[in-house]
Amino acid sequence: MATTLAVQRPGSRLKRRNTLLGWSFILPNFLGFAVLTLVPVIALFYIAFTDWNAFGTANWVGVDNFTRMVGDRSFMVALLNTFYYAAFHIPLTLGLSLALALLLNRKLRGVAFFRTAAFFPYVTSIVAIVLVWNMLFSPELGPINQFLTAIGISDPPGWTTSADWSMPAVIIVGTWREMGYYMLLFLAGLQTIPPELYEAARVDGADAWQRFWNVTVPSLRPTTFFVTVMLTIGSFKVFDLILVMTNGGPGQSTLVLSQYIYNKGFLENQLGYASSISIVLFLICISVTVVQFSVNKRRDA
Amino acid sequence: MATSTPAKTVTTPIADIGRSPLRSSSRSPVSWRIGRVLGYIALAIAAAGVLLPFFWMLMSSLKTNNAVFTIPIQWIPETFVWSNYVEIWQKSDMTTWLKNTMVLALAVTALQVFTGSFAAYGFSKIRFPGRDLLFLVYLGTIAVPWQAYMIPQFILMSKINLSNTLWSIIALQAFGAFGVFLMKQFYETVPEELSEAARIDGLSEYGIYRRIMLPLSVPALASLTLLTFVNTWNDYLGPLIYLRSPEIWTIQLGLKSFVGQYNAEYALIMTGSVLSVLPIAIIFMVGQRYFVEGIATSGLKG
Amino acid sequence: MKRSIVTGLGIAAVVSLALTGCSSSDGDTDPGSTDPASPAAPVTVTLAGWSLATTPEFQMLADAFHEVNPDITVEVQEYDATNYDTQMIADLAAGSAPDIYVQKNLMNFFTYQNGGQLMDVSDVASSYDGNASGLGLESYQVDGATYAIPYRQDSWYVYYNKDLFDAAGVEYPDGSWTWDDYTSTAKELTSGLQGAGSEALGAYQHTWQSVVQGFALAQTPDADLLSGDYSYLAPYYERSLDLQQSGAQVTYGTATTNSLTYQSQFGTQKAAMMPMGSWYVATLIAQQANGDADTFNWGLAPAPQFDSSTTDVPVTFGDPTGLGINPGIDESKVEAAKAFLAFIGGEDAAKALAGIGITPAYTSDAVTEAYFALKGVPSDDLSKFAFSTHDTRPENPLSPDTATIQHILADAHSAIMSESSPVDAAVSEAGARAENEVLD
Repeated sequence: MATTLAVQRPGSRLKRRNTLLGWSFILPNFLGFAVLTLVPVIALFYIAFTDWNAFGTANWVGVDNFTRMVGDRSFMVALLNTFYYAAFHIPLTLGLSLALALLLNRKLRGVAFFRTAAFFPYVTSIVAIVLVWNMLFSPELGPINQFLTAIGISDPPGWTTSADWSMPAVIIVGTWREMGYYMLLFLAGLQTIPPELYEAARVDGADAWQRFWNVTVPSLRPTTFFVTVMLTIGSFKVFDLILVMTNGGPGQSTLVLSQYIYNKGFLENQLGYASSISIVLFLICISVTVVQFSVNKRRDA
Repeated sequence: MATSTPAKTVTTPIADIGRSPLRSSSRSPVSWRIGRVLGYIALAIAAAGVLLPFFWMLMSSLKTNNAVFTIPIQWIPETFVWSNYVEIWQKSDMTTWLKNTMVLALAVTALQVFTGSFAAYGFSKIRFPGRDLLFLVYLGTIAVPWQAYMIPQFILMSKINLSNTLWSIIALQAFGAFGVFLMKQFYETVPEELSEAARIDGLSEYGIYRRIMLPLSVPALASLTLLTFVNTWNDYLGPLIYLRSPEIWTIQLGLKSFVGQYNAEYALIMTGSVLSVLPIAIIFMVGQRYFVEGIATSGLKG
Repeated sequence: MKRSIVTGLGIAAVVSLALTGCSSSDGDTDPGSTDPASPAAPVTVTLAGWSLATTPEFQMLADAFHEVNPDITVEVQEYDATNYDTQMIADLAAGSAPDIYVQKNLMNFFTYQNGGQLMDVSDVASSYDGNASGLGLESYQVDGATYAIPYRQDSWYVYYNKDLFDAAGVEYPDGSWTWDDYTSTAKELTSGLQGAGSEALGAYQHTWQSVVQGFALAQTPDADLLSGDYSYLAPYYERSLDLQQSGAQVTYGTATTNSLTYQSQFGTQKAAMMPMGSWYVATLIAQQANGDADTFNWGLAPAPQFDSSTTDVPVTFGDPTGLGINPGIDESKVEAAKAFLAFIGGEDAAKALAGIGITPAYTSDAVTEAYFALKGVPSDDLSKFAFSTHDTRPENPLSPDTATIQHILADAHSAIMSESSPVDAAVSEAGARAENEVLD
């Protein structure tokens, strides 16, 4: 983006003015953020190299935690499951929430009701959601399998009671839950597109699909970028859904990194090791985010 | 404002964006209407599916405790225990929990929206050295799972004597990176020419923020407000660790107190959960029009 | 410029946290206390408890103690029942934990003791003249010193519904069952009940890992949780799978996905038998009184045994629940705290606890009498035998590896019971994981 000042004054005076100005905007938020979030996060980075158990002294152990991680089979399982979840959850949620936003961005009768309905899964307590979905997925008596048997599938999946189908079940519920949330963000983003762009495209003879691709998609890019980044980080960090729905099971089929961190840190009191795993999770998220950032920047030019 | 502003003013309401495809179609009115009816039916079915868990919650709130979890699922209770809705106010401290949750949600939302949008302006419209790196640091903290740094954070908060007060949650949630990120993305959709023109007119950066950016970003602000409100309202882990005294419990904590070690009053928990969702549903239904009706564009005319 | 500020803050934070970590673990308890509270001065000590509205034991112990020691008040602070240990660990780390706190199970006891968060209370232990098996104290002893005093010791029995037995025409348990007897009776009950037109099943097995693994570990000779060899679990799992596959009990998959609760399954007569811990007695009585559970005749039977050699003193399992003292406690309160600990392990406290349906750690005839005097508790001889005569082994041996291994076994439990994995494969997988993650 081009320099914002109309009057160019080269040199350090401009830089200093901008720095002061920039910081004056950021400061209120940054102060709270730095003290309350940044400091503990930095402490976390330190703890990852120790064997802290929340009470005693944190003894420095260097990279022991990391070498242990490499040989830890459960860690590998958690890592793979996390990627499995993310690989499906991200595109599904992105597509569905965008579709919902486009669908509900018009003056339909009762659109307020439909939008509220779409948002409901996000608002309802996750415990209640999981309770109901577990019952729906119940292998012998649940409606879903009863429906599948009725349409002729003889051996319906065991869903959350089967090691093969538990992750797909979790992905379905996760997508269902979050599509309303991201729909909201897309709805807000759709408001920033000036309607004369659509007018101009229609005048040029573009049909609905072409208008979508040539007007909506490019104009939505900052929003799409935001949604993608948050969705990616959120998918890698998925925790309470899995904890409440399957608790990592059956076996370890839905064990993900966040839950592994929680188990190690809180249930087995190995905070040093848990912190080192958090750093790995952090690095994964950050690298993906940086990639997304540079892709976005390139498209910007 | 100068008339030389290059940005076009908005003449048609935003809501018409969606109308265009339908208008330009050449289908006959009858099939168009059938299509609409079918579409409505499909939407209604989808909405019913989406609301199913809430329906179950509602029905379960009217059952007795041991009838909540049965096989097969009991969609409609055998006996309707309406007294649950009275009992929950008498038996528990629901009013206190409601009050605390409301206080927290409002305070956090207000702070998050204002400091976040303020900081986002700095990140998106002003160039200064280290800006991008600092922003990446912000993002980085979102990438770290909260359970990981929860204990060091708790120790820190306890040292500054904030824990076991409502301030702890306010302090924790109000200065997150999420709001900054969201608003920054929206500010980037505002054309640079607007700000430039305002600067030529002598408006300070603060003035641009207040007079131009804020009004333009009403949909984004509305989203941020709603999402922050919902997140704070439903937050469980934070209050679990920081709000210990029963007088400062939030609704989620309070409901959990119905889960004893050897027994749980599930019907009452469902009652409480239903009551907890209602304020948000109402706020959403009332507030969702801010995402669509061209209030956002009113600042551009002239 | 910004970078160095950030680094500076980081270093400061880390240093302060490391130091904090140090200071919260040493209690400033000085053996030769300079200023002990004079016996007449009133002292208040804080006690951690949970679900105070529905768990009366803490307040009851506090009140009973206050009657005997009017100048010591025990103030109970409320914690969350399901996340008690998370909250307690956070509080201990930050130095804001109460003076006395509950040891919910042995796994977490180990965490606290190993982390230096429990004061040595061997002097209190020596004054506690214990029960017949002396189990409670042993579990809380590390390197010869005692770190907590038990006040309750739950054990697992079988609860059985006499009315459903009658309806199915099956004889009541006689106290000499092995697990094979239990299994065949469950199947008999199921077909009998079906014949009688009832929808109830013969048995209900709750979804916890302890329902199978606790018995297996306690009853199988030479079973060792820390050995990495979990083949002792196999016979127990085969019987459970047999029961669920033959329809004598609800399948694990159905129980988990429908969030079935053991209170409602037994209490609303959906199952004729159920292995469960002794804590359920108080809940069942209360629910029968308030209508959440049906009114029916029920009894306690001793846990089925590995073989008939142990039927005289049935082997069962259960962790004690005890209280420990926070080493960060104020100097002047230590005596008061120790007095409270001595009280809870004694006969008076035990009788008071028995009077509200809790199974105390201290056993004697007087305690048994108090327990069975409670309205609603079945008073037949078999129930009294089950309550008073048992060899209760701990569920969680004291070791740093226990928590991890229990998690591994929990995964094995869900894999086996959901029939995602055959028993032998899951058991050897658990052993391999234990080797990989812990026992190297």
